[in-house]
Amino acid sequence: MQDGVVITGYGCLTAAGANAEATWEAVLAGKSGIRQVETWDSSGWPYRLASEIQDYNPRELISDRKLLKFIARQDVIGLNAVAQAVAHSKIIEHREGLADPSSFNDRTGVFVGSPATKYRSQHDYLSPLAKASGDTGEFGVLAMENVHPMWLLRTLPNNVLAYAGIQHGFKGANENVTAHGISGSQAISEASRYLIDGAIDRAIVVGYDSASELEALPYYASVGLLSPRDLRPFDRRRDGTVLGEGAGALFLETRDAAERRGAKIYGEVLGSSVVSEAEGVLSVREDGGGVSRAIRSALEASGKNPDEIGMISAHGNGTRVSDASEARAFVDVFGASSIPVTGFKWSLGHTVAASGVIESILALLCLADSRVPGISTLEELSPDCEGIRAGASEQKPRSSVGIVVSRAFAGLNSCIVLSANG
Amino acid sequence: MVTPLGNDVASTWNALLGGESGVREIAGFDASGFPTRIAAEVKGLRPEEVVEDRKSLKYATPFSLFALAAAEEAVRDAGVRPTPATAERWGLVCGSGMMTQEFDFLQRFQQQFAADGEIDVARLGAEGERFISSSEFARHRTVAGQALLHRRYGIRGYSANLHTACASGGQALGLAMRVVRSGQADYVLAGGYDTMINPVGLAGFCLLGAISTDNDRPTKASRPFDLTRNGFVLGEGAGFMVLEDWRQARDRGAKIYAELAGEGNSLSSYRITDSPPSGDGPIQAIRGALADAGETIDAIDYVNAHGTSTPMNDLSETNAIKAVFGDRAQDLTVSSTKSQMGHLIAAAGAVEGVICALAIENSTAPMTANLRTPDPECDLDYVSQGCRPMPIDVALSNSFGFGGSNSCLIFRSPQSAETRGI
Repeated sequence: MQDGVVITGYGCLTAAGANAEATWEAVLAGKSGIRQVETWDSSGWPYRLASEIQDYNPRELISDRKLLKFIARQDVIGLNAVAQAVAHSKIIEHREGLADPSSFNDRTGVFVGSPATKYRSQHDYLSPLAKASGDTGEFGVLAMENVHPMWLLRTLPNNVLAYAGIQHGFKGANENVTAHGISGSQAISEASRYLIDGAIDRAIVVGYDSASELEALPYYASVGLLSPRDLRPFDRRRDGTVLGEGAGALFLETRDAAERRGAKIYGEVLGSSVVSEAEGVLSVREDGGGVSRAIRSALEASGKNPDEIGMISAHGNGTRVSDASEARAFVDVFGASSIPVTGFKWSLGHTVAASGVIESILALLCLADSRVPGISTLEELSPDCEGIRAGASEQKPRSSVGIVVSRAFAGLNSCIVLSANG
Repeated sequence: MVTPLGNDVASTWNALLGGESGVREIAGFDASGFPTRIAAEVKGLRPEEVVEDRKSLKYATPFSLFALAAAEEAVRDAGVRPTPATAERWGLVCGSGMMTQEFDFLQRFQQQFAADGEIDVARLGAEGERFISSSEFARHRTVAGQALLHRRYGIRGYSANLHTACASGGQALGLAMRVVRSGQADYVLAGGYDTMINPVGLAGFCLLGAISTDNDRPTKASRPFDLTRNGFVLGEGAGFMVLEDWRQARDRGAKIYAELAGEGNSLSSYRITDSPPSGDGPIQAIRGALADAGETIDAIDYVNAHGTSTPMNDLSETNAIKAVFGDRAQDLTVSSTKSQMGHLIAAAGAVEGVICALAIENSTAPMTANLRTPDPECDLDYVSQGCRPMPIDVALSNSFGFGGSNSCLIFRSPQSAETRGI
């Protein structure tokens, strides 16, 4: 049996940096990856900010260039993070020395936080639709003539899962979580479940997204979720979030498996939770009840008291209701002004399905380096976020244990409890 | 259940026993220009008669409606529903489909922003916000169905939304079982729902050449394990069940249909659309489920096969069963209900899980319809001559997805579970 789930590798690709180190340094330096959209001409757009991967070059991001015909932009980003974390874990070198790699592969899982289907993939059908002018029978003929035969495969929401398996040979238990903003956190949580259950010994976990698509900007703006200026979590003048791209991956193992191969252990996943507020797709409880239940439940699972927690990586998406309710939950669980709170979306944008994994990696680095970076855009704490210890300047964590909070549509809330250096 | 054979459990089961087919010429839209013009559509569902909640219906896309109707039947049948006191101890696990945007919406998008087939980016930036309504925005979220079920039943505990293509439903039930086992929830509403029967979904499968083009004989088109099989038939619908701890169910005097006793979850890591002919991948899932349930190969009475009616799946699955069961494979009763109801994609594993529970309850194995020309390489007992009355203590259900995810579930009869002293 195992005794704990440890982190033996990580990697990420964000608008602020091409790997975990570069992203971490950018955050510490107060640099933001949020810019005006460059992948299309956004000059006249009222909402034109996003955190896009800089100098996106798919041929440099994945090793198997033939694959580019079969996968989409978000898949490339996800597979890049997978490759980084796998390399960081040195698990392939370890496998090469094994007498029986096939049973090793059968005991290696793949857990993914996926953005599900994207708007972009449907653009291939616009030309046949235009020519068919409303006649679906004619549309069928034109679609067969004009759309790539592999369209459906390119569109699958589980491509990163499938190719993470094919590229690295992993064949164990797997899940593809499609739960909006908690997808990445829940992938960590589910991998931990299968590790604790003993169904697998190790797993690659990845969250990826390309949330700042063409249609996504006006559509998210239509329900009042986007800011035209910047993303300023918990700030008095915050007015919305900024969507973006990114991916993060963790290599998790049972402590037993990691110690047996002499792996370097970077941290431990101590507990996690997922709860719903059950109020509808877009509603958020103003009292933060879902967030506090998620935190309490994860603390209970990890056997930790609130006063043992050293820092909070908040969801902090910059929208009025989400930030205020989240702040209320922090005060409710931990008391006022007690614990350093930070967040990373002000720099990385809201990477939705990727955010839970990317932010867990950054929280791990906070704990490892004993540095809680400031939120650069937080100039004045909002009265409705009163009582949380967050600001533009750097703080120190109270202990080597931290929590990562993620939130999603459908009133979903997730919390991960992490410690550095196992 | 809501299936192409009936809009509830009783009518679906009776149609299965009667050897009926749910496959017809597509009625939902003009499919005359598509290579495939047949599908197994849900017929005559009047969700407002099942779900007395107009607000939920307003926010539901067609496949969310399937979920609402099937979940309503499951919750009513279970004789228990969340109360304010138990809401946080209820969980929800869904396997949901990949097509969350309605075709009509895409068509309107094309008319407004891509009149000639190319997107007018400036116009989208200027008018996009007003183009989409907030209820459309909500309806098209990947978590829309999940949110509706949470809200409708007031389920405030654990929640998951998964998508591993055709393995989604099976994986959802397997995860739900683990959630109950670990004590994370006392009750879990679990299932799957999907439809890809729309012009874009149909085009995607036609382009790929994965579906049968036997337009002239729709009821014979799905013929798993037959030598002349030439692709699957698209189906749609939903299956849900309520899972809870055995003792708790017994103590409250619940009608227990079956025990969900084990889950195997593996990744083929071979090709996106197929498992290898050897059955590698599915083999590990079946062995994993047996081990998880603590059963030997001798205990299995009935196998509800994935049996899609594609040349490669049925061969790979047959070989996987032979590899796991050895000499016993020839004595096994194996059938594919997809022969009658088509392939419900993300809902398939959940619907077939319900069918396994019904097979146990009614001591009857459903048949594989349309198996007229035996394939020398698919030589198991597929129940091709009509459904078979037989005692079923332990049933096994396979679901294998595009992307290589495999799920195998094991169901035990209440008597058998009781004897084992659970």
